[in-house]
Amino acid sequence: MSSGPRIGKDEWVAREGEQRERRSGLLGGIARAQARTPWWAFLAVFVVLACLVPVVTSDSYIQRVAFDTTIFMLLALGLNVVVGWGGLLDLGYVAFFGFGAYLYAILGSSQFDIHVPTIVVIPVVTLAGALLGLVVGLPSWRLVGDYLAIVTLFALQIFRSVITNGHDIFGSNVTNGVNGILKVDPLSWFGHALPVSHRGLFNPDYLYVAIGFFVVIYVALRFVNASRTGRAWRALREDPLAATSMGMPIDWLKLMAFAFGAGIAALTGTLTASVNAAVFPDNFDVPQLITIYAMVILGGAGSQAGAIVGAVVVNVMLESLRSPDNSRWVFYIAVLLLLLPVLRSARKYLLLVAATVAFGFAVHAIAGAIDPAWTRGTTPGGGAVGRAIAHWAIVPQSLGSTREASYVLLIAAVLAVVTIRGRWKLVALVPTLYLASFVWENVLGPQPEITRYILLGAILVGVMTTRPAGILGERRVEIV
Amino acid sequence: MKKSVVTLGIAVGAALAAVAGASANSSAPARQTSGASCAKTITIPLLSVLTGPAAFLGNDQLSWAKLAAKQEGPKLGHTFNIVGVDTQLDPAIAATAAQKVIANGSYVVVIGPATSGGSAATSKAFFDAKVAHISPSATNAALTKSVGGKAPTATAAFYRVVADDSVQGTRDAQYIAGTLKAKKVAIIDAQEPYSVGLADIVGTYLKANGVTVQRESVTNNTTDFSAIVNKISKDTDVVFTPWQVASNAQVLGVTLREAGKAAVVFGTDGTDDPSSFKLAGSFVSNFGPDISADAAGKVYVDAWNKDNPGKTFSAFGPPAYLAAQVAMQAITKACKTNQNTYATRASVFSLVRNVKVANPIYGGAFRFSTKTHDPLNGSFWLFQIGSDGKYKQIGKLGS
Amino acid sequence: MVPGCSAARDHTFLLLVDQFIQTIVDSVTLGSVYALIALGYSMVYGILKLLPFAHGDVFMVGSFIGLGVLKAFGGAANPTISIWLVLVLMALAAMAGCAVLGVAVERFAYRPLRNAPRIAPLISALGTSFFIAYSMQLLFGANHRTYDTFTMAGGKLFLSGITWGPLHVSLVRIIVVVVAVVMMVVLWLLVSRTRMGKAMRATSFDREAAMMMGVDVDKVIVFTFVLGSALAGIGGVLFSLRTDVYSQMGFLAGLSGFTAAVIGGIGSVPGAMLGGYLLGLVETVTQTYISTGWSNLFIFSILVAFMLIRPSGILGKAEIKKV
Repeated sequence: MSSGPRIGKDEWVAREGEQRERRSGLLGGIARAQARTPWWAFLAVFVVLACLVPVVTSDSYIQRVAFDTTIFMLLALGLNVVVGWGGLLDLGYVAFFGFGAYLYAILGSSQFDIHVPTIVVIPVVTLAGALLGLVVGLPSWRLVGDYLAIVTLFALQIFRSVITNGHDIFGSNVTNGVNGILKVDPLSWFGHALPVSHRGLFNPDYLYVAIGFFVVIYVALRFVNASRTGRAWRALREDPLAATSMGMPIDWLKLMAFAFGAGIAALTGTLTASVNAAVFPDNFDVPQLITIYAMVILGGAGSQAGAIVGAVVVNVMLESLRSPDNSRWVFYIAVLLLLLPVLRSARKYLLLVAATVAFGFAVHAIAGAIDPAWTRGTTPGGGAVGRAIAHWAIVPQSLGSTREASYVLLIAAVLAVVTIRGRWKLVALVPTLYLASFVWENVLGPQPEITRYILLGAILVGVMTTRPAGILGERRVEIV
Repeated sequence: MKKSVVTLGIAVGAALAAVAGASANSSAPARQTSGASCAKTITIPLLSVLTGPAAFLGNDQLSWAKLAAKQEGPKLGHTFNIVGVDTQLDPAIAATAAQKVIANGSYVVVIGPATSGGSAATSKAFFDAKVAHISPSATNAALTKSVGGKAPTATAAFYRVVADDSVQGTRDAQYIAGTLKAKKVAIIDAQEPYSVGLADIVGTYLKANGVTVQRESVTNNTTDFSAIVNKISKDTDVVFTPWQVASNAQVLGVTLREAGKAAVVFGTDGTDDPSSFKLAGSFVSNFGPDISADAAGKVYVDAWNKDNPGKTFSAFGPPAYLAAQVAMQAITKACKTNQNTYATRASVFSLVRNVKVANPIYGGAFRFSTKTHDPLNGSFWLFQIGSDGKYKQIGKLGS
Repeated sequence: MVPGCSAARDHTFLLLVDQFIQTIVDSVTLGSVYALIALGYSMVYGILKLLPFAHGDVFMVGSFIGLGVLKAFGGAANPTISIWLVLVLMALAAMAGCAVLGVAVERFAYRPLRNAPRIAPLISALGTSFFIAYSMQLLFGANHRTYDTFTMAGGKLFLSGITWGPLHVSLVRIIVVVVAVVMMVVLWLLVSRTRMGKAMRATSFDREAAMMMGVDVDKVIVFTFVLGSALAGIGGVLFSLRTDVYSQMGFLAGLSGFTAAVIGGIGSVPGAMLGGYLLGLVETVTQTYISTGWSNLFIFSILVAFMLIRPSGILGKAEIKKV
């Protein structure tokens, strides 16, 4: 797994190029095809697909998830400017998102009975967010690296403290404190309000609006990235000292990166505030920050397409893990996908899957013969697939302490498989996979809400340790 | 380069067109058949906090609601199933979760959301979709009542099976000022809606009755209560802790004793958990009597323990049983009015209001008030913790 | 005897002094735990230039191990063996368990990323943090539990101790502070007096040069994780003596530890200790003397100002990036 050289990082750089050349097979083919297709073709296809969501399905939940995903794509794009391009670890990012949402809510709700029209409020909020970004970015003139990161995290805590105590700022109720601001105005277009829902169902028009914003931001950022500023950002990220000596105004570049990210986050905040018709302090906290970071880094920091892929993968995965039926699919697909980089050979792969299936039936038959109670339980969520799996995986009627033991054993087994090399790895994988499905059907599946985060954590570790640059990130090496 | 400019132009145009077009187009979306088949398993979603720091709350509610489905369902002649839907502590996530529920036509009634913020954020959507939602724990008074001249934050789709904070806060304050004869009271909120709401009500009442009130807050990253305890003077009689985490009240109480301060800790329903809050002499008010104390309630607790071996539950659990009972009875009635074919959202929506639970988990009889969607004569019970750590029921608060 | 009026003023003055001394005692107790967590952060950062975000969860697991041992010996009120022995066993078990956990985390989540861009191990660490915290929730539920320290030895831990006038320093505070300080002294001796410590310092100074001088860097890194995680483990037990235990507690604790490590100057062992006590002091003083509701605003504003004045923390080296 640790493919890096033991001494000297330059060798790693050299090897990186070599590896890229050597890539063959399906993934390599995709990579080459991807390199040939122009970026706007991808964007166009993606946007058309996103716009088709409400046409394909009338399920307002799916439409709402599509909207939320677009929101996350916007947030990821903004964070990518600061972290991916500027190389600045901004842990206060979610404060700008909250700032935008709160400013929108204050300027358009019954809180102060002000109702500024959308056409005015969105530019105002975006600019104010960018200005706040400049202010929060100021410490970057003096602080670098993790010291900057912690100061921006402090900024987030200060922001949270202000909004939670904001019901009494020198006697006036600005943010309504912990109760949040309710009855926030929907978006409007020259006096026509755009209702948030129809008979309680999400109004898909908001999805189109969000996609519209997304396209504008995506394209604008693409041009920024290709401009002098964009190149200067990358120089700043790779080597601030060299950038300074080349005459680049690195202090301003840092502030620019902060302001761009903050402006986009604030803009996104207006969409969230309007669609939820409310803002609350808890919407803007460290968990949200981590989610957005996970999206950007998982997709590949520095890559716009990566940020989008990250947002889609993480948000859709987290959402689909909410119900046991979907989560079963996610689990088995994730397991099969994670096996790909481990095995790197189609023949071994098929052999392994076949062996596991066979092993499962054998164990199931033996267990059923010894004590029928061991196979008499039902799988979570049921359904045709669930019932089919119950003929293969052991699902006992009651678990007792097997529950805890099997989970811990699974972790140990997975870690062991990661360590073992050679042929034995393949052999060890068979019972491990079967154990995994046992744990899934008996322990994880029944508690999808906890499982989502366990799986998210495992996938973050898995992807990072196998593809440190993220799914679509360009492989590069930091020279410290 | 030229190509990119053209694309940019198209993209911007498309975005603007989308905004404009979307505003102009406000036709209602596709059809929506809502109904639960009476003959099959009827699934009721429970929106609650299932992950994160307060996850115990939702997990308790889920396990108790499931127990209700298992025990009460057969009596009503239907098979019920409860599914948990996670809202975390985040009202925005609750809003998405509500979409998930509304979009599924077979869901005709909802238990939850558990939090007051989540209930306020989702109530309009539920109302528009004609889905009644019955919360087992959202006690913010402003949800059903006009507070400070503002309209109630929830809609007519919202019901709750527990009395609201104005009842609890006022009665607690009456007890503190009247029976305990406190002269000096420290009120500590936990900077979340439930806590701040109760703290405000109690504070206002006490001040109006000539009690000296000291107000403090615990922030989301306070782990150690030494500083707050240090600020509380030795002659403080009562420390009022309207919190959601019982063990924190215990920690605060122990820190008080450690500092040689004799103030009585007075907790609310959120801190009612005999397994962690057991500081002798403390008080706890709750929306239900101690169900494990009497024989009738013990049956429920034993049944729960059988289904959840080795686990403990907090005070948030049992009301979910009652909320599930209300939901199941409303569905059963709706089935009856429709020749046992299927229950529609609209009929359940109109029937919830008149549900009467003859033998609720807390004894007595349960029905909603005719004025608001709160329980009729919702009361609070007061407990004092004995030196053995056991909760002794002192009685109903107020009249 | 002084006249009544002046006596009242003296009394108020004494109360203020008492409150101030109490504040210092509180801050030292809190700071001791922060320092223990911060040490792990700082040492790992020094060696690997990596922020081990899962460190807070190692701390949480330590706290749970303590609870497990306590339960195994019959609980706080009626332990089967002497309660003091139980406490020692809790601490030892937590240290051992966390050391194993820390080494496992290093081996599987950090080691494959040793030469990757710096942000990758950060995300891997966050993933590990999620994984550990939610695995604990899956296995043991989400309920907050306590050690029930108040029932240990009839409340002796809290009610007895050093009483000096109105000031009372309870036994549990003394235990927390003394154990933490002893741990830190032991750590200091290990780092400054032993061969392994020397290797650690060398690796921290320049990993490649140390490697070329024959230092087994892998061994040094494992040793660092053993030390840091063991400190987090005992920190977890000490922390829960005064507070509670739950599966999501690691995140906040980790954040405080991280903050302390950075303000102390990340990578510096004495800096982490100082940072821990400084953070404890700022928190306690703000809450006692300014406001509890607004405390975060003041705490974090003070810390921002501090970082601007000393951009590399108290004892951190000014970061010079070589080309």
